[in-house]
Amino acid sequence: MDMEKLRDEAKRALGRKEIESLIGYQAGSYGFRVSAAFISSKEEVDRLIFSPLCALSLVNYLTIEGRPSPAAGDKKAKAGKTAIVVRGCDSRAINQLIAEGGLSRDRLYIIGVACSGVIDLKKAEARFPGTLERVEIAEENENYLISIGGRTRIVARDELLADTCRTCQYPTPLIFDKLVGDKRKGSPACYDDIKALEAKTPEERREFWRGQLSRCIRCYACRNACPLCYCDGCVLDKLQPQWVKRSVDTAENIMYHLTRAFHLAGRCIGCGECERVCPVSIPLMKLNRKMEQDVKENFNFEAGKDPAAQPLLNTFKVEDPDDFVL
Amino acid sequence: MSEFEPNIVAFLCNWCSYAGADLTGTTRTSYPPTVKVIRVMCTGRVNPLFVAQALHRGADGVLISGCHPGECHYMKGNFLARRRFMMMKNLLEFMGYDPRRIRMSWVSASEGKKFAEVISEVTRDIAELGPLQPNKS
Repeated sequence: MDMEKLRDEAKRALGRKEIESLIGYQAGSYGFRVSAAFISSKEEVDRLIFSPLCALSLVNYLTIEGRPSPAAGDKKAKAGKTAIVVRGCDSRAINQLIAEGGLSRDRLYIIGVACSGVIDLKKAEARFPGTLERVEIAEENENYLISIGGRTRIVARDELLADTCRTCQYPTPLIFDKLVGDKRKGSPACYDDIKALEAKTPEERREFWRGQLSRCIRCYACRNACPLCYCDGCVLDKLQPQWVKRSVDTAENIMYHLTRAFHLAGRCIGCGECERVCPVSIPLMKLNRKMEQDVKENFNFEAGKDPAAQPLLNTFKVEDPDDFVL
Repeated sequence: MSEFEPNIVAFLCNWCSYAGADLTGTTRTSYPPTVKVIRVMCTGRVNPLFVAQALHRGADGVLISGCHPGECHYMKGNFLARRRFMMMKNLLEFMGYDPRRIRMSWVSASEGKKFAEVISEVTRDIAELGPLQPNKS
């Protein structure tokens, strides 16, 4: 990844009158961390980075101020554009948001980067515990060159790569105004882990999820980090009716995760943010990928591929499967 | 201790299945007294979360019943319901609920006999499965 090219594109973007600010990545305060950079002038562009450390999704920052109402939407569209650095998965999130009317394409200037996958912070910190110096990562063939405090170490890419990135089908952004880097080919979809869980008996599956979800501390990080959870009045926050109780209790946790996963049916774009931010390492992507697989097999639909697509559950086909109906 | 009697929540659409259930009664066809009927204007009104909530709050099984495809009073409500229900059913199944507890049927206003059959079948299946154990911590 050529950082200079990215900075050049950013500079060019910020030079345009209609673009007010740019959201990208910058080095974090310590270790393997990176943080979001909010840049509004050309002079600050040198802060921008892009490397396999850039695991967080920036798309959330586009919707964090709340969804513009349709009436306000037009006004905001005239207010100016935001430039944003997106990876393959982020571009699908943006596509899906546009398809749902949650985001206006006219307000965006998208700088796409062909992503080679990001590291799993938990794996990296387990491999290099207690790293406080800022880490830099470069890629060479199938290895990461990791520089910590002036020393460079070579680690196999496979060892630190995030699980979601192993099966990434779209490393090259699907929607962009400018693309930095060469296009990359994705891996084929693989649902072996889902199939393995499906092959078990209902009791075994129930035990599995009960065990996993009993650890949930209900921090709501999975919901908040999700680029597609952006409703102003989230059903999980409602008190009347209270769909899910606030108490940390296995039964309520199961309802919470069921609700969350269902609301991503046909919408999840598989970025893995929920699993990445989970403080107790619940395999949340298993739920999302189950939905993704079923949507693909039954409705031949993939979320976030087409910004003009109708949301899956708002449409139907007469020939949809109905073998389960009495 | 008497035999286990399932507790089934049935969401019936106003125009077909609810009228069908009515016909079952007026024709004096008997069916197991295991269903608690909730009338909705259309199966499309049934938020899939209702299904999960019913199971979570003590039902042993859930049934959604509406008009046959193409006969919806609101043209496409049942088609939309079918997709949503299927995704919810698959998710519940994946999380360990037996699929026989989560059912959908098409019963028209003239199918009083079919309604009785559907309830009998669902009741039989769930009676076999036994009560749904709550997810205690």
